[in-house]
Amino acid sequence: MSSVYVWKIGGPAGFGIMTTGPMFAKVLKASGYHVHGYPEYPSLVRGGYNCYQIAFGDTEVTAPYKKIDMYVALSDECFNREKFEESTYVIGDFANLKNAGDIKAKKIDVPLMGIVKELDGPDIMRNSVALGAAAALLGLDFALLEKNLTAAYKEKVAKINIEAAKKGYESVRERYSVVCKPAPDKCAPALYVTGNEATSIGAIAGGLTFFSTYPMTPASSILHYLAKCTREHGLVVKHTEDEISGINMAVGAAFAGARAMTGTAGGGFSLMNEGLGLAAITEVPIVLAVSQRPGPATGMATWTEQGDLKYVINSSQSEFIRAVYSPGSVEECYKFTFDALNLAEKYHIPVFVLLDKFLSESHFMAEKMPETGDVERGYLFEGNEEEPMAYFNRFAEKKDGVGVRVIPGTKGGLYIASSNEHTDEGFVSDKADVRKRQVERRFRKLKPLTDDMPHPELFGKKDAPLTFVCFGSVKMMLLEAMKHTDKFNFIHFPAVNPLNWEKVKKMLEGRNLCVMENNYTAQLRGIIAENTGIIIEKTFLKYDGRPFFNEEIVSFAEEAAK
Amino acid sequence: MKALDYNTTQKPVWCPGCGNFAIWNGIKKALAEAGIEPHKLALVSGIGCSGKMINHVRAYGFHGLHGRTMPVATGIRLANPEMKVLVNGGDGDGYGMGVGHFVHAMRRNVDLTYIVHNNKVYGLTTGQASPTNEIGSPSKSTPFGVVDEPLNPIAIAIDAGATYVARGFSGDSEQLAELILGGLNHNGFALIDVFQPCVTFGGKYQYEYYQERVVKIENHDVTDADSALALSKTKDKLPIGLFYKVEGRPSYNEMHPEIEKAQVRKRDVTGLLEELV
Repeated sequence: MSSVYVWKIGGPAGFGIMTTGPMFAKVLKASGYHVHGYPEYPSLVRGGYNCYQIAFGDTEVTAPYKKIDMYVALSDECFNREKFEESTYVIGDFANLKNAGDIKAKKIDVPLMGIVKELDGPDIMRNSVALGAAAALLGLDFALLEKNLTAAYKEKVAKINIEAAKKGYESVRERYSVVCKPAPDKCAPALYVTGNEATSIGAIAGGLTFFSTYPMTPASSILHYLAKCTREHGLVVKHTEDEISGINMAVGAAFAGARAMTGTAGGGFSLMNEGLGLAAITEVPIVLAVSQRPGPATGMATWTEQGDLKYVINSSQSEFIRAVYSPGSVEECYKFTFDALNLAEKYHIPVFVLLDKFLSESHFMAEKMPETGDVERGYLFEGNEEEPMAYFNRFAEKKDGVGVRVIPGTKGGLYIASSNEHTDEGFVSDKADVRKRQVERRFRKLKPLTDDMPHPELFGKKDAPLTFVCFGSVKMMLLEAMKHTDKFNFIHFPAVNPLNWEKVKKMLEGRNLCVMENNYTAQLRGIIAENTGIIIEKTFLKYDGRPFFNEEIVSFAEEAAK
Repeated sequence: MKALDYNTTQKPVWCPGCGNFAIWNGIKKALAEAGIEPHKLALVSGIGCSGKMINHVRAYGFHGLHGRTMPVATGIRLANPEMKVLVNGGDGDGYGMGVGHFVHAMRRNVDLTYIVHNNKVYGLTTGQASPTNEIGSPSKSTPFGVVDEPLNPIAIAIDAGATYVARGFSGDSEQLAELILGGLNHNGFALIDVFQPCVTFGGKYQYEYYQERVVKIENHDVTDADSALALSKTKDKLPIGLFYKVEGRPSYNEMHPEIEKAQVRKRDVTGLLEELV
């Protein structure tokens, strides 16, 4: 077997592919493999073409491949969508697949529907038969599949699905030999986690108490995850009437003392813009998880892009500071969301965790989540029992531009959080000197904030002929490609704003640089140029809604390094 | 507490004779009577002349965005159950831009008191028609007369789930203060729509206009939604007073048992991570 083996299942939406895929990945993981899962699907409830790719091997796997080693075809549409090599194994119910006639791949014929009918089960159960077949072909222990089916379904449903899988397993074992031996190393137990799950858990760890938003792919699963945790972990999660309400409710909650966050995609964030400015001038701390997808407007709802970087950095009118994390892994999703909640309350600013569909919805393995610091709430006024009616200088400077926050209900802490420019107590004012003082004070936070941001990091051999420059999830794709070529190293930006650009400049100088981004205009390149004067001429850009596949990166790097 | 205790150091900038003065006095009087201490009160306002109320009532204040008072107030209420929440907004603010948030806040029965300064005009932007302006009235943005049907906030509120629905008039400050007090003492969403003349840009909607038309609601069963709805649709006369009040429907905070456990602290997520193995 090559170092990475690619298994894939495809069929129409509604066939259970998005539950079957991740479950089979867990079987592979339990068998000792390192696993990465990448889903593709259209914005449809039924029909179309869904697929889930599992790339697995005996060392860490972090990105998708073009090649397919084994494929489970659940409908004729699969043959219009996928390219198979002669060496590809295609598992299918070929009696019922008309388009499969002329494929060159090795057909593994399994009577999926026949077995389902024999057991008198629902059509969707053909998944379990197919998984049984795949498990046999991959030489996996059936007990591991059985265990995962038991965990995935309710008792009665699990029982019949296990029976179906068993029949699929036996049907293949009787007629075909194993094509891929299990890895010797046992890497389980490790987490198999999506970016959105890691972000949500990071938020819960970080003491989140309030989350409000409107669902939008690919951020919706943050809402779903947090919503199911409310009762046990003590947090309020609201699905609001729209994103405008989502951010304003979070701002109200944060003003009142909650640790508040909202999450959305670019389209929803468009609606949140005025609320972002509101958080900025009222200095109410909030965290925004924005998961990017192709736009503008609705764009391609279920695909990936990195087109919102400049948008989150520049959105809302006038000028104010905000922090933008751009995590490149599930570990960073977890840690930065934890840190973002602290940072927002330390500086009283909006803080972004910028994700994308690839990172939000793909599965990655992680040994454990990184260590975090403590929950820190910044300067808080304790109250003054003697003067319960007194106004408080909330917007006077304490240190580095940061004032002292008061939780409403505190005696002697009265102030107004005003969307208008205001005095130290929050009373509306448009006097020139007040405006100037407040603007300057708010911007004084920039320097210490910069020192708190994670700095770009170099991955790979120091003297590689080519250095990719990237942010966010491209890190995962480059780490994968690095296993196949030594022609490049890369600099990853785990945060993009604000940064110590003098230090960044030194890091970039003297290298053969190439920006690599999932967008058309090379936004990171623009930001680097604006802040350092360095114009990176080489670009490797992709904007078709797909992440960079491993083979594309390897061939680009080999070519560019010539 | 006395009404004067709620004054701040800021002098109102409303036009002399503005209907907002009566609302201001009504609020202070009601707060004093309800005995709400300033540090236990969160005053939320939108944008417009109504929004400036925030500068003149001693309390914690949140001066938000145009039309967005309801989500901010809901967030405050859910996050800090100890605070009383009193919201001031205009008819453009709440019934125009914010009408979606308004309806949803009532569906939720958020425990807050919402005073809408309804003068049928956009005052601060110098005289455009608001959603409650009647068909035919000319304004800066409708020089040939309004053609949109006026919105009936009382009917909408009764239908959407508000549990205390009243209408006051700036020309009757005593009743207005009573209605506000009733709202503050009510557990659930309280709407107090207030006829409040804009003396500068309000056109025909002045004190005389209302004085000729308002009638106090009498002999009305406030728990009967159908007759409250019928009353809200009275033509020619404009009923003021309490239209509708129901007790016993749980307020939004009561529907969220997790609030009691919502403490900002580092949490152990070992269990959540184990589920992902």
